[in-house]
Order: sequence, then C-alpha cells, then structure tokens
Amino acid sequence: MRDAAPLTPSKPPLGTLAWLVTRDANKTIGSGMASIELLRRTLEKRGWLDDLEHGTLFAVSRFTPGTNVLAYLAALGWSYHRIVGAAVAVIGGSLPGSVIVTILTAAAASVDRWRSVRVALTVATLVAGGLVLANAWSLVRPYVRGARVGWTLTSVALAAALYFSGATPVRVLLVLAIWGMLTPPRTAS
Amino acid sequence: MSLLLLYALLLKASVTSFSGVGALPQIRQDLVVTYRVMSDDDLSRAVLFGRSSPGPVGLYIVSVGYAVRGVPGAIVGWLALASPAFLGIPMLALVRRWLHLSRLRSALDAVIIASATLLVPSGILLMRDAVAQLALFVAGS
Repeated sequence: MRDAAPLTPSKPPLGTLAWLVTRDANKTIGSGMASIELLRRTLEKRGWLDDLEHGTLFAVSRFTPGTNVLAYLAALGWSYHRIVGAAVAVIGGSLPGSVIVTILTAAAASVDRWRSVRVALTVATLVAGGLVLANAWSLVRPYVRGARVGWTLTSVALAAALYFSGATPVRVLLVLAIWGMLTPPRTAS
Repeated sequence: MSLLLLYALLLKASVTSFSGVGALPQIRQDLVVTYRVMSDDDLSRAVLFGRSSPGPVGLYIVSVGYAVRGVPGAIVGWLALASPAFLGIPMLALVRRWLHLSRLRSALDAVIIASATLLVPSGILLMRDAVAQLALFVAGS
C-alpha cells in the first residue's frame, strides 16, 4: 500500500498536536462540528492543513460509524503521527469532556438550575451554530472557487433535495458519492 | 450488569449510528427497556449533561455508563464512544491510495459538498433554538 502521507508539507509535533486538539476540541458546547471548525482554523493558520485536506478528512469521518468529530480527530492525528497521533487526538478531544460529564452526573447537578448558567449555555449554542455554518462554508469554498462551479451547485441542490425529501444523511452521502463517480471532471486531452 | 456487557451494548449503539445522538434509540431499547438498568429520566439527564459539556455531543454515552456502573461504567462508556473513531483510518488510507483516480476524486468531492450541505440545517437549527431560548429569557426578565 502506498504511504498515505498528508497533503500538506509540514506537520505539528505530537505534543503541539495534543495541546491544540485538547484546547480547540473542548472549547465549544452544543456541537462537536463547531470544535472541528476551530481546529481547522488553528491548523490552517499554521500551515499544517488546507481546505482540501480538511474536506477529505471530513468526508471520511462522515462515513465512519460513531461520533463524527472523534473520527475526524482520529484521521487527523493519524495523518500526522500514525496510530499514536490518532490516539492522542481522540483522547485529547474526548477525555476532558468525559471527565466533566462524569462529574456532572456524579453530582447529579442540574445545570439549568441557575438562570445565568442557562443564558451562558444558550449563547454558547448560538456561537456553535455559527461555527457549524462556517465549517460548511470552508468545506464548499474550494469548489465554489474552482472550475466546476455548475457541478458544485448541482451537487448542493441534489444533496439538499434528498435531505428535505427525508433521506438519512448516510443515504445522501452514498447517493452523492455515486453521482460524483458518474460525473468525473473532463480531462484535457 | 457486567462491564463487558455494558461496553458491548454501548459499542453496538455507537457503531450502528453516524451522529452523536444517533445511538440514543438503541441505548434506550437496551438499557431502559430490555435490561432496565436505568430510567428514561437518567437517559434524559445524560443527554442534557452531554450537551452541556465541551466536546462532542456524543459524550452523553459516558454519562449513561456512569448511571449504570459508576466510574468504571463511565470509563467503559468513554471507550465505547472513542473506539469506533479508529474505523475511519483504513478508509482514509484507501481513499488516499486511490485519490489519483478521477472518478474517486469526483466521488469524494461530491461527498464533501454533500457533507457541507447537510451541516447547514444543523447550524441553522442550533442558532434558531438558541435565539428562541434567548427571546424567552428576555421576555421573562
């Protein structure tokens, strides 16, 4: 098997990766996708990730059973440091939150007992929603600016039509994969 | 309930879902209905804790594990949550190996675009719920 090297030339050291994943993946409440957007921004700013590579990792994570965010982190960590990187990224992205969840459950605390806490959680959810939309834009951006704008818009319309007709996300992705396979770009001869 | 069985049940629910809360129906069926080791209230509280904590929404599985078997159950819940994430690595290796094929590249592009499209309703729903909640806070103050 050909070595599956990351598409970007440089990679973060393992310790830096662990720190960045732990920091960014545990910064948002209400949506793990928002965490991915924060992490993407951090890694792209430092030249360790680009939009296309992010898109590849994201697509694979959507087809992986279980929590998409952790699948993304495993794929990201593996791209940089193989299995150790994957383990470090998954642990960094899930352990702090797991400890907090366990403490909350153990204390049987009702987090919505205090109004200020409820307001803070709601604002955090609002921000998370915005980050999810930003993530959607970062995924589609390379295609909107590329040579296949018409094909991209058709793909968006097809995915939206399937979604709003009640198809499950996995079915939407499968149908779009087939659509993409049947409509490859024309190569210049 | 043994830790091994708890892990198997939570792993089954986790592996057969493709989103954070997608495993909820299976967990309810197994732990609330079939084995009766937790109540619907416990499950609702677990989801609330999962949504109120940083990180993936799927972290409620850790809370479910704790509700069933205490700290060892929480560890088992975390393992059941984290282990399926590694299933994507062989897929990523295969995708990268064959990425030079135009049809596979095009299929991947279409999946990426579909993923982005599917994110939009989720983001809008999150924001809409938050705005509605904030409006209630303002009206109530």
